[in-house]
Amino acid sequence: MTQTQHDADQDIVLECDQVNRWFGGLQALKGISLSVRKGEIFGLVGPNGSGKTTLVNAITGFYPPQQGQIRFLGEPINGLKPHCIAQKGIARTFQNVALFRGLSVLDNILLGRHIFMRPSIMASLFYWWWAQKEEVAHRVKVEEIIDLLQLESVRDEPVDVIPLGMQKRVELARALCAEPRFLVLDEPMAGMNQEEKEYMVRFILDAREAMGTTMLLIEHHMDVVTAICNRAVVLNNGEKIAEGPTREAINDPAVVTAYIGKVKDAA
Amino acid sequence: MFYRLSGIHHTRYESARALWPVTADRRIVQGLLLLAVAAPFLLSDLYLTSYMLPWLIWTAAALSLTLLMGVAGQLHFGFAAVMAIGAYTSIHLTRAGVPFELALLGAGLMAALIGCLFGAAALRVKGLYLVMATLAMQYLVEWTIINVPAISGGAQATLSTPDVTFLFIPLQSDGALYYTALLWTVVVTLLIMNIKRSSFGRALVAVRDKDFAASVIGVNPLKYKLLAFFASSFLGGVTGAVLAFCYYQAVTPEQFGFNVSIQLVAMVLVGGLGSVIGAYLGAGFVLLLPIVLTNLLAFVAQFDLIPISFNLLSHIPLMVYGALIIGVILFEPLGLAKIYDNIRKYFLVWPFRHTQS
Repeated sequence: MTQTQHDADQDIVLECDQVNRWFGGLQALKGISLSVRKGEIFGLVGPNGSGKTTLVNAITGFYPPQQGQIRFLGEPINGLKPHCIAQKGIARTFQNVALFRGLSVLDNILLGRHIFMRPSIMASLFYWWWAQKEEVAHRVKVEEIIDLLQLESVRDEPVDVIPLGMQKRVELARALCAEPRFLVLDEPMAGMNQEEKEYMVRFILDAREAMGTTMLLIEHHMDVVTAICNRAVVLNNGEKIAEGPTREAINDPAVVTAYIGKVKDAA
Repeated sequence: MFYRLSGIHHTRYESARALWPVTADRRIVQGLLLLAVAAPFLLSDLYLTSYMLPWLIWTAAALSLTLLMGVAGQLHFGFAAVMAIGAYTSIHLTRAGVPFELALLGAGLMAALIGCLFGAAALRVKGLYLVMATLAMQYLVEWTIINVPAISGGAQATLSTPDVTFLFIPLQSDGALYYTALLWTVVVTLLIMNIKRSSFGRALVAVRDKDFAASVIGVNPLKYKLLAFFASSFLGGVTGAVLAFCYYQAVTPEQFGFNVSIQLVAMVLVGGLGSVIGAYLGAGFVLLLPIVLTNLLAFVAQFDLIPISFNLLSHIPLMVYGALIIGVILFEPLGLAKIYDNIRKYFLVWPFRHTQS
């Protein structure tokens, strides 16, 4: 093994090795292998139903793969429960915003600190002497993230009254608060207008710069993918059809075929 | 006017998360607490022991249930059984010579243990199915108490509470009973309010609102569902013991029947799910309104303006009471707590119309 090869292996944060997942007779993931290197934004694209979200669900533990292995920092994580995987340092956002509607923006973001906190009934009972110190310490970190993502104005609002673009930003804030080493963004710009989209791109880049987070980005906006992703994998029908530096992967003839069909297909 | 938000600026995170950040709210709470402490000197014995005392204890019960149903989102239709376990455990423990303070702890632990056993159903089922599981608890516990003479003291038996002391004060005078109940209700109130503003409560709400999103941020949904059942059943068990010693002073299984469970659910729903002030208002509504209505009608009837038969006289309060419960739920599905909140916000911005949140 050459030195550069060895360095690249050292740098791998997340590695999927021949991941297979069936739902009954439907094979949603067919032997997917990919590796995400430290500090990069890795694009995951493909037409609807190609298995992007299934792969993410396999990584975060909701649909553990029936075959194959997923390694996080060299350690196998398939088969672990989602909350255990979260504690190892993998965070994610959801395609359709999954915020806690009964809580304020601040409480939602504070929940991102859950893995660092020691919640207990006794700590709550003796709040002034026990829980308060912890709450305040984590509030400081949360305020840093609120600052980074410019959420000051909605901090105390109930989360279901703020606009969708803001909600997506709150979800990103909640994920970043966990100080993840690997962050999965599942269509963070779905349903956004051009301005909100550009803001979101800015925040993602800011977050990577400020925290050095490695990210996996699922997105249908190809302009965003080509603009910010270092490398990309394209899925179609559960298979990997292209991989490499983003622009090359997306311009691959197989990808063009998967999205808009072949010339002779046109009637 | 009454509330002033201007001039309230928080420079420390501690004060921003205080229980009552608005001065006017704090004054109201202080005033109410003062009234509650002074109640034995202000109210007649009748009002103290048959209105204030049960209201406080049932408020503690409603608070325990609202932690489970409102904050953690797990339905429970057998909460009277949880209280029964606490009541019977505490009586048997004190009869065996255990100090009352430890008996209260034992009552809570026993209720929490059995409550968790049935609550384990919540790990697999939600909603109506969980209602069925908790109903099963209600009937199983009731049946066991009635049919095991060692617990109930025999068929049709009434078990009276022995004389005990609480914190070196003998629980005999009305005052001592009242202050014990008040102390417990204040402790439960502070606990629920603190749970709601700390990481434990946030985790419970996360599991209630979206359990998959909760697990993706590292909250173990199974653990927190069980903890919710544990905490709520513990509080319910101790409240049952306090109810037995401070109010009933002699318990029978019928005092913890299914209708009591439904009344508790009504308190929580009418008051407002998950709300602390709602538990006070809901318990007051469900417990005291029938009495007030009956008294009101008896007062009206004594003038003989319209002839009302005795039969009708006893039924009208029930009809009005039922209509009022439906009325409140229809008028404000979020309960009395929301009505209070609306009024409070009206005064908060008076004479203007629009609130910030």
